[in-house]
Amino acid sequence: MARLAEGHGLFGVLAGTANPLTAVTAAVYASTATDFVRIITRVQLGLEHPVTIAEELAILDNVNNGRTVILADTGELDADDASEEVEVLREALGNRPIQHDGPRWKVPAGLPANPTATKSIAVTPKPAQLEIPFWLTGIRAHDVSENSHLPVVAREPSSVSNPGAVQPAIARISGELKQDRERAAAWAAAGVTHLLIELPRDGDEAALMTLISRHLAPEVGMPNFPRVMSQSRAPLPWPGDRG
Amino acid sequence: MRELAVLMEGLGYDELWLSEHHFFYDGYCPALLPAAASVLSVTERLRVGTGMLLLPMYDPRRLVSVATDLSTRSGGRLDLGVGMGYRDIEFDGHGVSRKQRLPRMLKGLEVLEEAQATGGAPVWMGAQLIEPVKRAGQRGHPILFSAALPFERCRTLTKVWEEGWAEAGRPAATRPALGALRNIWLTEDAKEREAARDWVRASYVQYAGLGWTLPAVGDHQVQDYAEDTDKAIADTVETTITGSAEECIRQLRMFDEIGIKHVAFRLILDGEPRAALESQLRRLAERVMPHLRERVAA
Repeated sequence: MARLAEGHGLFGVLAGTANPLTAVTAAVYASTATDFVRIITRVQLGLEHPVTIAEELAILDNVNNGRTVILADTGELDADDASEEVEVLREALGNRPIQHDGPRWKVPAGLPANPTATKSIAVTPKPAQLEIPFWLTGIRAHDVSENSHLPVVAREPSSVSNPGAVQPAIARISGELKQDRERAAAWAAAGVTHLLIELPRDGDEAALMTLISRHLAPEVGMPNFPRVMSQSRAPLPWPGDRG
Repeated sequence: MRELAVLMEGLGYDELWLSEHHFFYDGYCPALLPAAASVLSVTERLRVGTGMLLLPMYDPRRLVSVATDLSTRSGGRLDLGVGMGYRDIEFDGHGVSRKQRLPRMLKGLEVLEEAQATGGAPVWMGAQLIEPVKRAGQRGHPILFSAALPFERCRTLTKVWEEGWAEAGRPAATRPALGALRNIWLTEDAKEREAARDWVRASYVQYAGLGWTLPAVGDHQVQDYAEDTDKAIADTVETTITGSAEECIRQLRMFDEIGIKHVAFRLILDGEPRAALESQLRRLAERVMPHLRERVAA
C-alpha cells in the first residue's frame, strides 16, 4: 500500500493504525518500501515510557531519512497526563538534553539505586529532521493543543480550528467521483493542508489510488483546476518491460 | 546498515546481530527492534538478532507484541537476545531502579518464554558471570558471549551453562549451540593487521567510556576498564583473531569444539573505512566461511 501510494505521488501514508503496540515496526516497513512519501506514524500515548518511544521514533526517522510525521493519539490518558507525555516526547526528540520534572514523569528519574546517573540525558541518535512534525488525535487532542499549539487532525470541516498553520484532517472516501470531489473541495475550503484518506473497505486499492491521484489531488492542488485534464483519456500503458 | 545487510546476505552470511546502548554521544542504537525491522524488511534469508536488548528497561508485554509482529513479518528470522544492562543512567533515563533489574529481567523472561512457546522469537541471553550463565542454561536459552571474553573464559562459562542445562533435567542431545562475538581480521599484511588491532583498541575505549568492566570469574582475572583502562583494553585486543585464512579457521574451530557454533564477527569498528569493512566481509566469506561447518554471523 505504501509503495502504491508513493507511485501515485501522494504526500504520505499512515502507518500503525492496525495495532498501536506495533506502530513503529509497521512504519519501518512502510519506510523501507518507499523513497519519498512521509511516514505518518500513529503513536498511542500511555503504553510505554515516553523516552523509549522517543528512541524508537528517532531510529525510525533515521531509517527513512527524515520522512517521519508523528501522529500522537491521546488514547486513554486524561488531558493533563496526555499533555505532559507529549511534552516529554518532544523534549526527548529535541536537540537539547532533557531534564523533566512533572507530575507523571521525571526524566531522568533520579532514583537512589542509580547513584551515578547524570542529572540530564540526551536521547540519541537525534532524528534525521531538524524537528519531526507532530500532530495530535484522540479524545484529549484539543486539550493538549491548547498549550502546545500542535495541529489536531480534524474529522469534520467545521472542526478546523487552526487554518493558518499546517492543518491535517482525516476523512473516508466513497469511491464515487462526484461525491468525493465535493468532500475534498469542502476540506480544502475549510483550510485543511494535508488530508489523510481512509479507503472504503474491500475497494479496489489501485482504482481508488487512481481516483485520488488523478481526480481529487489535482482539484485541491491548484485553484480552478481545469478538469479537462483529469477527464481526458489516460495515456496508453508502456507496452514493454516496466521495470 | 541495510546496504551492509544485503551485502552480507549475498555473501552467504546467516546472521546479523545488533547491540544496544542509550544516551550515548555517537548515536549508539537505543531501539533494536525498529533497527532489526529495517534490516529484515530488505532481506529474505538473513536472520537478525538483538545482542543484547536490555530487557529490564522495557514493558515486556509491549516488547513481545513488537517482537512477534516482526517475527511474523520476517518469516521467523528474528532472534531475541536479552541482557540486564549495567549503566545507572540507562536505567534512570527509563525510570527503572537498578535494584529492580533482576526481578524485572526474570519477569520479562517469563513473558518472552511464554511467547516463544507459542511460536514467538527464540530467546537468547547475554551473560558473563557464573550465576546468570547457569540460569540461562537452566532456562534453556543459548548464550551469545561478549567479544571481550578470552577463549578460556568462554570455555569455562560454556561448561557452567551446560551444567545449568543438565541441572534442569534437560537432555544433552537437545542442547542448542551457543554463540560468541569475536573480533577478527583476516589479513597476511602486517600493516593492515596493526591497523585492524588498533581499530579494535579504539572500539573498546568506548567501553571504558560506557563504564563497562569484565569481572573476575574463577581463575579468570578482572578486566577493569574503569580503574586499569589501558591493561583491560590491551587484554581485550589480544582476543582478536588475526592472520591468514588458515589461522582464522584454526581459531574459530576451537570455538566450535567447545559447543560455540554461532560466531558473530565483530567487524564494525571505530576508524575503519567502509571499504575495509566490505573487503573484510568478502574475504571472510570467500576464504573462511566455506571451511566452517556451522553458522557464521557478523
